[in-house]
Amino acid sequence: MLMSYGKVDESVIERLRKIVGDENVLVAPHHRFLRAASAAPFPLHKWHVHAPDVVVLPGSTEEVAEVVKLANEKKIPIVPRAGGTGLADGAVPLKGGIVVDIKRMNRILEIDEENMCVTVEAGINNQTLNMELRRLGYWWPFDPASFPVSIIGGNIGTNAWSLIPGVSGHIRDLVRSMVVVLPTGKVIRVGEGGGKKISKSSIGYQLKYLFIGHQGTLGIVTEATLEMFPLPEVEFPAFFGYRSFMDAWRNAGKMAKSGLRTMATHIIFDEEKIEALRRDDEAYIPLPAHIKSVIATAFYGTEAEVKGAAKRIMEIAAKDGGVYLGPELSEGDWASRHDRYHISFHGRHLDGQVGTYSWHCEDAAVNYSALPYVVKRWHELVKEWKRKYDIFDDMGGFYYNNNAFKQWGDYLSEIDVFIDEYHLTEETWQAWLELKRRIAEVVLEVGGSISAAHGGTRPGDVELVVSKELDPGVYEIMKMIKKMLDPNNIMNPGKYLLDTAYE
Amino acid sequence: MPTAHTYKPWYKTPWKDDWIPDEVAVIDCYTTFACRHKFCREVCPVYQVTGNESYTSYGFHTALLAVKRGYERLSNLGDTFTYCLQCGACQLRCPDTLFAGDFYRVPKTTNLLVTKTRSEIIRLGFKFKGSDDILKAINKVVEDFETGRMPLVDWAKDLDIPREGEVILFYDYFMATQMTNVLRLWAKILKTAGVKFGIIENPRPTLLYELDYLGEKGVKLVKENIDALQKAGAKTVVVADPHVYVSLTQDYPRFIGSDLPFDTVFITDFVWKLIKEGRLTPKKSVNKKVTYHDPCMLNKVSGIWESPRNILKSIPGLQFIDEDHVTQWYYCCGHGASEVGSFKIMHEDISYQIGLRRLRRVVELGVDTLVVACPHCNQQFNEVKLKAKIDIEIRDISEILAESLDIK
Repeated sequence: MLMSYGKVDESVIERLRKIVGDENVLVAPHHRFLRAASAAPFPLHKWHVHAPDVVVLPGSTEEVAEVVKLANEKKIPIVPRAGGTGLADGAVPLKGGIVVDIKRMNRILEIDEENMCVTVEAGINNQTLNMELRRLGYWWPFDPASFPVSIIGGNIGTNAWSLIPGVSGHIRDLVRSMVVVLPTGKVIRVGEGGGKKISKSSIGYQLKYLFIGHQGTLGIVTEATLEMFPLPEVEFPAFFGYRSFMDAWRNAGKMAKSGLRTMATHIIFDEEKIEALRRDDEAYIPLPAHIKSVIATAFYGTEAEVKGAAKRIMEIAAKDGGVYLGPELSEGDWASRHDRYHISFHGRHLDGQVGTYSWHCEDAAVNYSALPYVVKRWHELVKEWKRKYDIFDDMGGFYYNNNAFKQWGDYLSEIDVFIDEYHLTEETWQAWLELKRRIAEVVLEVGGSISAAHGGTRPGDVELVVSKELDPGVYEIMKMIKKMLDPNNIMNPGKYLLDTAYE
Repeated sequence: MPTAHTYKPWYKTPWKDDWIPDEVAVIDCYTTFACRHKFCREVCPVYQVTGNESYTSYGFHTALLAVKRGYERLSNLGDTFTYCLQCGACQLRCPDTLFAGDFYRVPKTTNLLVTKTRSEIIRLGFKFKGSDDILKAINKVVEDFETGRMPLVDWAKDLDIPREGEVILFYDYFMATQMTNVLRLWAKILKTAGVKFGIIENPRPTLLYELDYLGEKGVKLVKENIDALQKAGAKTVVVADPHVYVSLTQDYPRFIGSDLPFDTVFITDFVWKLIKEGRLTPKKSVNKKVTYHDPCMLNKVSGIWESPRNILKSIPGLQFIDEDHVTQWYYCCGHGASEVGSFKIMHEDISYQIGLRRLRRVVELGVDTLVVACPHCNQQFNEVKLKAKIDIEIRDISEILAESLDIK
């Protein structure tokens, strides 16, 4: 039997005001509609379906816990919201309710220079944290594409991904412990064993990872103790040009096995990506016409280490005809890596005119050996949809090293699809979801995973995630855990289709 | 050179209670709502203090998009649109502005959007927090000016400055009444360099971003200032107040629909050129450890950040601890763009918190003096400093330079 939810009426609003203060309870439509969407393509024609009933901005763990307790008592859905830059709709309400926006909780609580960790409230932004640590000579080495704006709580909630995993891993590798408000309002600290600042313990179950990547379905993280790194002496980006994607792919295989420990990443730009950059990217530095594909590499470490690595990577690149593209392009492009992933005026219609395009970024995890097949199939699919509907555009693909502290294994595989979201109708929205499913099916066909970075909670992904990607026994365990921790199904209900646990 | 404001026609259309943005407006609103970056948020001084994303560039644009889609009414937006300093950080940090702005003519113009929304809400008779007080403050300035109660040229009495010239030193009521020492020093510095310059007898209040609230009366003030400057023979207008500078370079062209008939130069740009040409040589050692605060109207809205730094670097003995101008996109003194201090009228505590954050940064740098180049920053920091009991000296850049030039 599906649960029925309680209403957000005046008495609930009044109690929320008592908990977080009048100015931190927002009921006017423009506040609520603002928090209906995150950063993935959004069905604007169904905006109202996703608007929450009320938004609260709590200022402490205690306030979050009180709000959650109230919601649990009244059986009102809760949707946690941090930066709102997630690409799996984690922060998009599916059943109205209360959006708990944690961005007011943005203080640094402790910088422990002896044990090299920093404790923060979960509403702090990555760049802000890094700016503060840099003043002291340290580095917050988590580097999602949304680095200037995404927020720790959301990064943890989505098991977010870093562009430089080779030297510092992903968010799951950077959290020592955290405070989580459970769906009943109970507050726990979960980490390695019982330690707040311990990096590895064999005590108890490994529950820390349960609270990383649950997309807000199991609670709200309010505080985290995170790794900090010494500021690297040097940063060295090096870009190489190739005559074809296949040359670049072959060379990436050699780079992956180079054993260079200062290598943060290597990223393949496919032929469609280079075309799209040539056509539309204002910051693009022109390359000779015979360069059809690129590999970007980046190194962090001591000067001595990186000098040696730089020499070696040049030698490896040359083996498949890779040409070093010089410091201006390498440093400029690497420095602006966070700044231009979506410009509305880059997507184009069939007649070549720009439109009001929004951006979708596929983020499957695909093994090295399967890349050429996936790349070929994906571009065929997107081009077919572009021809059919003329509201999609193929902006090419990136294939990023996906591996923490190493370069081999699999790639975060991103095809960038631009979508004229402003002109979506229900028909074209359904066409988009169909394309999304077809893209995901290719990934499952080769034994990959649908999302390396964002999560599998979006329509178009989620049906395949629960019916095809996850082992049925595993999904069964997810449902059992969900029902056990959240007896009233109030935490971000509907995500991962976990409603079925309550049937 | 057309400014961004002159090619966004929707800013000219009057709105109605049941107003629905036209398609051109919607492109602005939609692309800001749909933007995947949201860089406008973290860079916003108001957001840094409130943690409320409704008070960001995408918050404002989304609110208007919600009006377009029939989910919200204009009369409901007033209070939300008070939470803006109009410091310009968001529109500058916007990737659409940075990468596609010039080519597709789509730079974000949030400062003006806030002006437009506030003025339409006022015109339609809706109120928002502080709107009466703001109107009162603005009308008082205009009244004081019209009745001749303002001592607009008294500061120059003993300086023998003509009322004409190809170079005119320009300011408005604010500096003439509250920052006369700075005006006097700039005038003496120009004289020391042998610059032939004049002033005008009755500079009208420029009231940055808020002339719109006055309707026709506002347009009249614009035209009178331009006329007076032309009659005085101005070819170059050297402006001493960053807010007045933005009025002349960005608001005035919008009101008259064309470029001004003279060049407008900010005083630090003008004076740095004099130093480069050797017409001024700072000689006397100034033994201070200073940092510089970029006024939003110069750094974020006008792109002027080099000349004040160059001037400071030219002064012997001065220890200058610089914070780069891009980091300072995140900062504001808390006063905001309004000359009458509208943001402070509406949100006194947030204004104070923003100023306090900035002053604490200054203290962390271990300097004894904060150098400013804007009379409003000067006033605001002095207030914050007193209230928070922070021990730091606030000096205008003209004072530091004058000391080195041995001008009293």
